[in-house]
Amino acid sequence: MNSPLDLTRRRFFGDVSTGLMGAGLIQLLGGEYVSAAGDLTVKWSPGSGKPHFPAKAKRVLQIFCPGAASHMDLWEHKPMLEKMDGKPLPGEENMVSFQGKNGPLMRSPWAFQPAGESGKMFSSMLPHMAQHVDDIAFFHGMTSKTNTHGPGCVFVNTGHATEGFPSAGAWTSYALGSLTDNLPTYVALPDVRGEPPNGKANWSNGFLPARHQAIVMAAHQPIRNLERPEGVSAAEERGTRGLLDFFNRRHASMRPEETELQARISAYELAAKMQMSAPEVSNFASEPKHIHQLYGTDSNNELKAAYARNCLLSRRLLERGVRYVNLYCASRASGVDGLLNWDAHKTLKHDYERHCPVFDQPTAALLTDLKQRGMLDDTLILWTTEFGRMPTRQEGTAGRDHNPDGFTLWMMGAGVKGGTSYGATDDFGRRAERNPTSVWEYYSTVLHLLGLDYEKLSWYHNGLDRRLTDVHGKVIRQVLA
Amino acid sequence: MNFPAQQGSRNIAGVSLITALFLFPGAFAEGVDFEKEIKPFLEKKCLGCHNPNIAKGDVILAGAGHVFAEGSELIVRGDALKSDLYLVATPAEPGEIPEMPEEGDALTDAEAALLKTWIDEGAVWPDELVLHEASKSDKSWWAYQPLSDSPHQSIDAFIEAGLRKEGLAMNPPADRRVLIRRATYDLTGLPPTQEDVTAFVNDSDPDAYPKLIDRLLASPRYGERWGRHWLDVVRFGESKGYERNVIIDNAWPFRDYVIDSINDDKPFDQFIREHVAGDVFGAGDPEVEIGSAFLVGGPYDDVGNKDVVAAAQIRANTLDEIISATGEAFLGMTIGCARCHDHKFDPISHRDYYSLYATFSGVRHNSRPLASPEATAAREAALKPLNAEKVSLAATLKKLEGQLNKRVRSKLPDYEKRWVRPKVSRTLTEETFAPVRARFVRLVSEALDTNPNNAAGFRIDEFEIFSSGENPRNVALLSNGATATGAARSIEDFPGAYGPQLAIDGKLGARFVSTGTDLTIELPEVTEIDRVVFSSGRNEETFVHGKFAFVADYRIEVSDDGKKWREVAHGRDRKPVSASHEMVRLRRGEATREETDAIQLAKSNLAAVDRKIAAVPALPSVWLGTRSKADAKGPFHIFLGGSPQKKGERVVAASLSTLSEVAPLYELAPEADEAARRSALADWIVDEKNPLSLRVLANRIWHYHFGTGIVETPNDFGYMGGRPSHPELLDFLARRLQENGWKLKPMHREVMLSKAYQQSSTWNDAAGKVDGESRLLWRFPPRRLSAEEIRDTVLAVSGQLDLKMGGPGFRLYKFMQDNVCTYEPLDEHGPETYRRAVYHQNARASVVDLMTEFDQADCSFSTPKRSETTTPLQALTLLNHQFTMDMAKGLAAAIGKRGGNPVTSAFELAYQRAPAAEELAQSEKVINEHGIEAFCRALLNSSELIYLD
Repeated sequence: MNSPLDLTRRRFFGDVSTGLMGAGLIQLLGGEYVSAAGDLTVKWSPGSGKPHFPAKAKRVLQIFCPGAASHMDLWEHKPMLEKMDGKPLPGEENMVSFQGKNGPLMRSPWAFQPAGESGKMFSSMLPHMAQHVDDIAFFHGMTSKTNTHGPGCVFVNTGHATEGFPSAGAWTSYALGSLTDNLPTYVALPDVRGEPPNGKANWSNGFLPARHQAIVMAAHQPIRNLERPEGVSAAEERGTRGLLDFFNRRHASMRPEETELQARISAYELAAKMQMSAPEVSNFASEPKHIHQLYGTDSNNELKAAYARNCLLSRRLLERGVRYVNLYCASRASGVDGLLNWDAHKTLKHDYERHCPVFDQPTAALLTDLKQRGMLDDTLILWTTEFGRMPTRQEGTAGRDHNPDGFTLWMMGAGVKGGTSYGATDDFGRRAERNPTSVWEYYSTVLHLLGLDYEKLSWYHNGLDRRLTDVHGKVIRQVLA
Repeated sequence: MNFPAQQGSRNIAGVSLITALFLFPGAFAEGVDFEKEIKPFLEKKCLGCHNPNIAKGDVILAGAGHVFAEGSELIVRGDALKSDLYLVATPAEPGEIPEMPEEGDALTDAEAALLKTWIDEGAVWPDELVLHEASKSDKSWWAYQPLSDSPHQSIDAFIEAGLRKEGLAMNPPADRRVLIRRATYDLTGLPPTQEDVTAFVNDSDPDAYPKLIDRLLASPRYGERWGRHWLDVVRFGESKGYERNVIIDNAWPFRDYVIDSINDDKPFDQFIREHVAGDVFGAGDPEVEIGSAFLVGGPYDDVGNKDVVAAAQIRANTLDEIISATGEAFLGMTIGCARCHDHKFDPISHRDYYSLYATFSGVRHNSRPLASPEATAAREAALKPLNAEKVSLAATLKKLEGQLNKRVRSKLPDYEKRWVRPKVSRTLTEETFAPVRARFVRLVSEALDTNPNNAAGFRIDEFEIFSSGENPRNVALLSNGATATGAARSIEDFPGAYGPQLAIDGKLGARFVSTGTDLTIELPEVTEIDRVVFSSGRNEETFVHGKFAFVADYRIEVSDDGKKWREVAHGRDRKPVSASHEMVRLRRGEATREETDAIQLAKSNLAAVDRKIAAVPALPSVWLGTRSKADAKGPFHIFLGGSPQKKGERVVAASLSTLSEVAPLYELAPEADEAARRSALADWIVDEKNPLSLRVLANRIWHYHFGTGIVETPNDFGYMGGRPSHPELLDFLARRLQENGWKLKPMHREVMLSKAYQQSSTWNDAAGKVDGESRLLWRFPPRRLSAEEIRDTVLAVSGQLDLKMGGPGFRLYKFMQDNVCTYEPLDEHGPETYRRAVYHQNARASVVDLMTEFDQADCSFSTPKRSETTTPLQALTLLNHQFTMDMAKGLAAAIGKRGGNPVTSAFELAYQRAPAAEELAQSEKVINEHGIEAFCRALLNSSELIYLD
């Protein structure tokens, strides 16, 4: 708990505008100026690039499948569903959930088969992902606080089911700052089909300063306002920028102690660097053909190709020093359930036969590519969705309703013990039964891997030292390597 | 510089003097008083974890029932050394750290001795005595005390006293150009003109400055600037938030009400009362009722949930939002923290929270008509005869239809003979016909299976057309060059999501969602065909849902040119899909001309009167919220752990216990109606004995003038908030506010006429070492303009600012809705957006370039203070967005209009000063090489434009 006396100190470090004391260019954006990640001789302060203790992970890739991707159809095999298909769910025969009444149990439309050396039973809908099971730590006993998509997505991204809180990427940006001064610290890549439920709140800075918000960029969507306006020649641009720099330096020189004026000059320099680097990162021309094939960027399934390009872009961003990448596969609730995202209320089989092929190969390729480049050593990969689905069919349909009481998330990479399955739902997949795990515990573990103490990483806001893990949390040590 | 926490904290340190005097257990002759001597330290040191909500380690120390439970050895009466409580709370060996508490201070020796004696004496714990976790502060906290008497009688006296203590002094007065810029921005959010500045600088009247302040306070721009501050505080947003985030187009009257009220200098006690209960005491007066739109000004989840547990939680979240916003905005209290348990830091009980829950329980987010009783009566009078006419016409129509139905039903047996084929099937419907050569084939819907009177809106997952002959193949495939057309539901940000191409993509799952009556397929070449097969839910086990809505009556037509059509098949000889479809078919076949005409006439008469009804002007509908009697009906309970499923003791609407020592108390009967509950709260918040509301308001005013409040956390005057830098000044200001009848304008005047406000902002190393943040006000703290000020300034100096006040707002995003809503920032901002930014329709969680980059608050929460960040994205947006280019053009034109040296003109417009020689030279060089707009673009990006000394 920070004492109230820390308020001024927090403000000092929290806002670039007031917190600059002759810092260099990169620190303006909370850059990493202590080179050795494990050097703890310098005390942690927000954005210093220093963790609280030696970190396993330097950067994070968070893949998000919005719409509540079904745990029992993708990740957690439930033989009992096959046995009892068509029978009522014992003890909850008259269950009413988000959309209404539920019918009998429904088996997964696809077979599960053993994968990897661990022989973990895995959905045959995800043949490419099956290659990675030995590297993954599954959290099969996840629980959420809400059964509604918007609050659910926001909960899994911010640790709070109401809007206005900082996302995990924003917290990471605040805690650790940037690894590069050429690219944003935190990037969100929405799907070509649109934004996830609750849209931009998913990558919001909440009440943290605006610089911790994710920059939106995707293969189909360049960073806004990145390019020099049409009709402005390179020479004119140089003229304008030169004059601006002269104005700003003259103004600042008369107020030498006002550090935010220096920061502003630096911000324009950084913007110029970003204008050089961002188009380079989005230009895939240098990627060899086998890489394109690996990801499936050339697929004639347009949705798959678009997502594959975002996967490839994610690797390039991470490689070039982006600290946190928030990558989406699918979008929001449309006029037809399950059409644009994983929300298979009525026609699970058809819906997932569209979504799985989009997700499977490109995601698996991204993991393979990161592994081959040695990046898994210090990159933490998260797979998330807002909650799970019911083991029953919705009455009169062949789909599943929302289930916040049990579902799967997973992580792999830096510091994670692969081939782990932590926690489980009951025989049917209805409720987390063994080692129920909250989203807060999941993120306590994520922060731990980033070298951060989830109880110390806080920001005062309207009466509380707010945290990513709210007033909860516990590091799940069973998944640590 | 830190401000000490000591004051008000004397009770936190805790140990009562009496207990500390006893150093040895033997010193107790007899009779430890549990309530006075044991309870306080248990509450402070143990109950934080061992309360019924948290029950850490399954140990609860709240009541005798918990402690002396069967089989528990927590407390063994008469033997402390066998009691777990005593053993874990005291060191095993002297000098060791006891096992408990895990966090915080262990028992002192004196406390341990008392505990031992109490247990040894038999551990008397009165049954009715329940322990609660002690908050960090209590009712003696500084913020809850009555306003203190003032040692000084002017703002400067307080500031100077504070500075003297640190050996500091104020800066000399700011120069006049700086001062007028500071004051003008502060009160209006806009720059002064060069002419204003020149006049003020040259004004020898000793009252020139007070006159300036009076002029600015009288400007309508003042209400726009300070209204914007207040809209931040009351988390005013114009979309619902959450997943659907639907835009609210009729919330703006509240924004106008705020601006008007502030321009009118409406007393703030009245203003606050209107926020909480304006609809009660102002019923019938739209200008007062509108204030209560505050209650529904926040985000809420409107998705709907059939799960009753989840639905109850969502409703509780909605009320929580109102409770939190009320506490933060008016009282500087973080009441929301008492939702799950007693507030851990402030003396706000769990019960207090649920008293407010009862108070606001009837509030529902909604629109309702807002009009005077006269206007309402006039409308009702106009509608009365029309409604009567409507009733009579509807009866006529019903009668005619009834007669017809009865007659045609007798023909049913004839028809049934013709309906020889089975009903259409959503999973597979097939039509064969004599081979025909065709280039175009279309399905024309005559009735939907969900509604016989509507033909538009069917769905098709696949439509196949087979060639005739020996080896029939599906010739309607996208992959073979066929194309499909037909009106479809559309999504702007993902075109084709429901398009007709899905009907011929060879895949099931995604389907064509028609909004018209036909699906037309063009084959790649003229082909002889004899069969079509189509469906909306092929291979689906369950296909009853509306997702699979299908044609019930239809025809298949072919064409060579897509213009002249020929019917080749139809479904009229199929059995009807329902009784109502049957009736529609019978009527279609059997009704006489006369019958049809009579029904048609009755229908058109009815439509005519409907049009007349629609033509009576509607009362303005405003996002004001409705009041639900059912929701407001008690009894209300505490929700243990915040869960509506765990009801605790009953509560009624009541005053907050926090201020029970200073402000009057009330506790309403359970049957008091919800209007009375809100009225009581409204009156209590602004009661003359309530010191908190006045302090909070005075502090907000100070905060906006100086950039930091006397308390730097304007929404939180509790333990977690900041301590006042000048507590006596705060009370002085609060009293002045009260003396001035809660009017803001006299307070602005008093603050702005102080020397503290008028001093220069120049840095001073010596003072900076002592007080780097200038909290003691040895200088005026310089600041960056807010997002709104930046946009308004760019528009103003470019001569483009449109000062139209009020009415519906403008949008810097494109609004799209497909079930949920998407807000896409615009690449170009047209002249309709050139109004002041306070008139922007701020949707929640919607990034709008310049506004968001420069820290415009997200209106999900009450925002007591804006951040001030500096980022490269700001640079990109301000450099490259088309808005800057348009404004550079505007500024160039304004320069031309102004005449004289263009650089001098530009500097006067932007900075209200002449350029220095080097600025002139550098600027002219750029103008000569790249044109004037290149220069203007630099100027609009310059720091001087957006920073104030």
